[in-house]
Amino acid sequence: MPDDVVNLTIDGVPVSVPKGTLVIEAAKQAGVLVPHYCYHPGLPVAGLCRMCLVEIEKQPKLAIACATQATEGMVVKTQAEQAKRARTSVLEFLLINHPLDCPICDQAGECELQDFTFQEGRPATRYSPDYAKRFNPVEDFGPDVLYVPNRCILCTRCVRFMEDVAKEPVLNVSERGDRAYIGIHPDERLDHPWAGNVVDLCPVGSLLSKDFLHKARAWELDKTAAVCTGCSQGCNVTLDTRENVVVRVRPRPNLEVNRYFICDHGRMNYRWMNRGDRIEAPLVRRDGELRATDWDEAVEHVATRLRGAAGRAVALVSPRASTEALFLARELLGGGGAGLDWTGAFQVVMGEEAPLPGVPDLALRAERAPNGTGAELLGYRRDYPAVLAAAESAAVVLVLDEPEVAVRTAGALIYVGTVLPEGARGAEAVLPIANVAEEDGTFVNRDGRVQRYFQAKPAPGMARPAWWVLSELLVTLRRGEHLASASAAFDVLAERVAPFAGLSYSSVGLVGQRVSVGAGVPA
Amino acid sequence: MAIGVKVMRRPGAQVSYVRATLKGMVLTLQHLFRPKVTMQYPEEKSTRDWTLSPRWRGTHRMLTDEQGRAKCVACGLCPQICPANCIKLVPGEDEQGNRYPLIYEIDEFRCVFCGYCQEVCPEEAIHVGVHYENSEFSRDRFVYDLERLCAQTHPVSTLWDPSDPKGE
Repeated sequence: MPDDVVNLTIDGVPVSVPKGTLVIEAAKQAGVLVPHYCYHPGLPVAGLCRMCLVEIEKQPKLAIACATQATEGMVVKTQAEQAKRARTSVLEFLLINHPLDCPICDQAGECELQDFTFQEGRPATRYSPDYAKRFNPVEDFGPDVLYVPNRCILCTRCVRFMEDVAKEPVLNVSERGDRAYIGIHPDERLDHPWAGNVVDLCPVGSLLSKDFLHKARAWELDKTAAVCTGCSQGCNVTLDTRENVVVRVRPRPNLEVNRYFICDHGRMNYRWMNRGDRIEAPLVRRDGELRATDWDEAVEHVATRLRGAAGRAVALVSPRASTEALFLARELLGGGGAGLDWTGAFQVVMGEEAPLPGVPDLALRAERAPNGTGAELLGYRRDYPAVLAAAESAAVVLVLDEPEVAVRTAGALIYVGTVLPEGARGAEAVLPIANVAEEDGTFVNRDGRVQRYFQAKPAPGMARPAWWVLSELLVTLRRGEHLASASAAFDVLAERVAPFAGLSYSSVGLVGQRVSVGAGVPA
Repeated sequence: MAIGVKVMRRPGAQVSYVRATLKGMVLTLQHLFRPKVTMQYPEEKSTRDWTLSPRWRGTHRMLTDEQGRAKCVACGLCPQICPANCIKLVPGEDEQGNRYPLIYEIDEFRCVFCGYCQEVCPEEAIHVGVHYENSEFSRDRFVYDLERLCAQTHPVSTLWDPSDPKGE
């Protein structure tokens, strides 16, 4: 037996875990969730809420599962009578001053205090109905964070996040005993670029996001796994939608990329997904005017223009487009049988870099492009102005969802996008596509990690995913097969582009997979 | 071809209507002198023997606080529990930072009057009413908005009390 593995039993389930694993983490592997408040896998252990008390055989007293390391032969009983009674008592203490305002609390439905009280708390208080609960007014902590001290259970996750992860210790525990509350430095605000994480970390509704305040109840939300489009880091996120409107972005744990956190830039970067001014039908130019038509005719119209074209072809793409769409756009203009001299480029918006000091290799990157690496791997160039200039004399210009485009060309301009910008009104054809929240696809982040995102809401009108539009064009030109899904499009991509060889949607999964090393990927 | 028909000869007592008519008249006359059971609706809405049950579940009513504002805090439980999906609720925040319903509408046509909304309400705001006269001149009047729900004056249902299952 290797030295670095210990075997223990938790609630009768035998598990083997690496040496040094905490009992609470070992219990997760045994399928047992030990109730806890102060413990969070992304933060240093504090061991102060006393909620995770469990019985360990041959130990005289109950132990806290979050600060006890698993040892060989340990027998843990989370449901022992004594442990349950202790946890019920802890909950009773927490609820002495906790207001009964679940109906107006944003956390209701995803509140750990609610969940564990339902699970093992007392059904009623032992205090007299006349007992006046401690009351402190709501405080404004920062640009997006409100603090409701009455609901606080002093788990100090927020304090530890700001101190040990964000390394900007502006929060503390002020006062003592039952008067304690979370205090903020009088001259400081909670305006660290990653400060929004304290809202997710808060197990109760004490720290609230102003952006999400009163917007929706937790049980009305549909959750979809996605990848943040804010920068080239490619943090894993969950899109919360309510009646097909994205209302919130939350981090989705991925130990390889973003651990448990996302930055505030990514958190707020969702409103454009709900834009109402979308193109809803394909438009083709007839008698000098753009007219709405159906997909069959629009595809045929564009295919006719492409069939007759010869000479230079230019693709101006958005680094927010999926890898599948970028690949198919390249196939359309540059693939075998196109007979065109192909160049493609993408434009990257730059911003300020904002690292999260407590997590290595995690930052809001200066390059605000989720799929810049993907575009580069597929042969798109970064010298956008040069390619834009070359577009003037090109025979065909394909613009893929680049709303800032201001292109002048002598050839045919084909605009494939979600909205119709002023600069694209001279297009030969406008094909409406789904945005990131409305399609399945992949991004390649700055480390060359291919990550999938999923469809969170339906696309408006006749808009279709870009991979579908481009593959239909290829079919009409007799240069491709019908593709049934984004997964099928990715399979073709993996077959033809070397760095993606051997990858598929099922192998990429929810955590992502790196492209082959040494394929032009930044190390 | 002729068909053979056998003519029955019944006794006079069986053929005569006089006897049956007299029998019926006796019953009718008996009823004339019995106590009346008819209620004179709509002049009368209840009688000594019959009133609408306090557990009756009719069209809704929203209770208000001392300032006349709806007691609803827009927690979202009633639209969630509603099996007919007839409650529309959009939450908002007033100047004091209190949560309140910006829009609260109940489609009484769609409602199945189960009373779950009253049962689930943590603020005792929405109630089903002891009320049954709902006629209107147009269909859209059956979507009750917050103002109308607050303006109702009829008594509210007590629902079924498990500790007093027979309502005694």
